[in-house]
Amino acid sequence: AAERRARRRRTRWMGSEHDKTFIPGLPTVLPSTLTREQEEQYLLQLQIEEVSRKLRSGDLGIPPNVEERSPSPEPIYSTDGKRLNTREYRTRRKLEEERHRLVQRMHQINPEFKPPPDYKPPIIRVHD
Amino acid sequence: AGLTLAGAGPATEVLCLLNMVTPDELRDEEEYEDILEDIKEECNKYGCVRSIEIPRPLEGVDVPGCGKVFVEFNSIADCQKAQQTLTGRKFSNRVVVTSYYDPDKYHRREF
Repeated sequence: AAERRARRRRTRWMGSEHDKTFIPGLPTVLPSTLTREQEEQYLLQLQIEEVSRKLRSGDLGIPPNVEERSPSPEPIYSTDGKRLNTREYRTRRKLEEERHRLVQRMHQINPEFKPPPDYKPPIIRVHD
Repeated sequence: AGLTLAGAGPATEVLCLLNMVTPDELRDEEEYEDILEDIKEECNKYGCVRSIEIPRPLEGVDVPGCGKVFVEFNSIADCQKAQQTLTGRKFSNRVVVTSYYDPDKYHRREF
């Protein structure tokens, strides 16, 4: 057990018990009477809202500690020498993709769901 | 068609934690053990943890409760304290959502 503890990287809990996330209209305490579908729908709604807040605020959840970041891919530069695939760009794209996946799932169980105003489905490029 | 959420309902000694883990994270043995320890340790700060269940994914099976964490406390009061402190906190960058769970269903492993 001691060996296992030593192997442990770090806790996944973030912030103290005073650092909480309050999303207006989306409480984090649920009644135990929800059906499986209602529960999934609620969690999807919460996840979509969370991702949207990250994208809007620019607080993308990139770890400030460099060691906790994933390795970077080879850089890609534009013709004027600017790096295109920065961490911010990659994180934003990943969040947009996640939001798209969540919105799609949500539409399957609730066709009337209105996605956030800043949500745009990805453009599907047709290769010729 | 929004949902009306009328509070937590009656407290029990079993706390269900949602939006915390994904089935993908639980596939790896080491990561699963890590997550289990991490949650148990934190819950033990607010009450005495009697048992904990984290349903893991199985290839080709729709495992009930997979993605949720169930923590059984020694008393309802401990469970309430844990709910108050843990709900709305972040775990792996996700907001922790909580609800009380029926102990009978928990013991029958009906997740």
